[in-house]
Amino acid sequence: MALLNRRLVLSLTHLSSAVLQRQFSTTGACRAIQKLTRVRVVDNSALGNTSYHRPPKCIHVYNKTGVGKVGDKILLAIKGEKKKALIVGHKMPGPTMTPRFDSNNVVLIEDNGNPIGTRIKTPIPYILRRKEGEFSKVLAIARNFV
Amino acid sequence: MWRAVSGARRLLRPLGAAAGGTPRAVPPPPRAPPGPRGGCAAAGAGAGAGALEAAAERHQAADTVLQKFNIDFVVALLRQENAKDICVIQPPPEIKYCDYFIIVSGSSTRHLHAMAQYMLKMYKHLKEESDPHTQIEGKETDDWMCIDFGNIVVHFMLPEAREVYELEKLWTLGPYDDQLTQMTPQSLPEDFIFGLTANSSDHLETRT
Repeated sequence: MALLNRRLVLSLTHLSSAVLQRQFSTTGACRAIQKLTRVRVVDNSALGNTSYHRPPKCIHVYNKTGVGKVGDKILLAIKGEKKKALIVGHKMPGPTMTPRFDSNNVVLIEDNGNPIGTRIKTPIPYILRRKEGEFSKVLAIARNFV
Repeated sequence: MWRAVSGARRLLRPLGAAAGGTPRAVPPPPRAPPGPRGGCAAAGAGAGAGALEAAAERHQAADTVLQKFNIDFVVALLRQENAKDICVIQPPPEIKYCDYFIIVSGSSTRHLHAMAQYMLKMYKHLKEESDPHTQIEGKETDDWMCIDFGNIVVHFMLPEAREVYELEKLWTLGPYDDQLTQMTPQSLPEDFIFGLTANSSDHLETRT
């Protein structure tokens, strides 16, 4: 998105060399967010922004299927502790006319539903509003909508 | 202040008349003009009138229960419930979230619960069958509850939670909010890979 303009220029010019140098093979997103997915915390909580030697990973999806889409609650392992989080965007293409993000974005919440951070800079999709669930608090601390 | 629109239906009665009647002990809520800068009152009033007219026209187009359950009714209910620090914000129309964003403080958890349930009860009493159902979000919490009525969103918070989150600052100041500027610039994770999609129409093809 807007963050990636620099990266876009870099990758367009160095795309071929970057791809050939990579030693591993990667696939596009097949399933949105499931167990052991590395996610990106997008709010300004201390827990989400301090660096750690391991990226935050999903360890459980609170869903009948084990696949989490936008609006689902998941359990994250962050800095050696377990925290619940809400998915606000994923790399997998969703229904038509819904935004697709370039990273799996997640907002940390408490067990009772209050968000831990106080501001969210990345765009949040409007479809969260239509969904059944308690999303008004996350929408209240968001700045941009998509 | 607000003008009657098209004579036949006056959807938004001037709030000044209602406010003038009851002298408020709490500081007056910031009626933020729609615009990124919460500017001076003169500019705000001029911009506010134009945007409010546009808002009223949008109300006319979208029917709903809100003929009766409009912003004046909600604020009157909140005053009746002894809500403290009622803050009504009108976000700019570019943020297509809601028309009015209300933040209200309560004196205790029980007070917040009571206000939220009373608000919901009045909504259910006035709504038609075709209107969407609403729920109280945050019933398990003890400091923050909110209800989304479609074009009005009401947040009931304790004063401590209000200090922490500072929603008024975010929704009035917009990109100039101080908490936003204090956030460290977000960096992408090291394992982030750009340009990988399974979409074949994307010209950034991946080759392994």
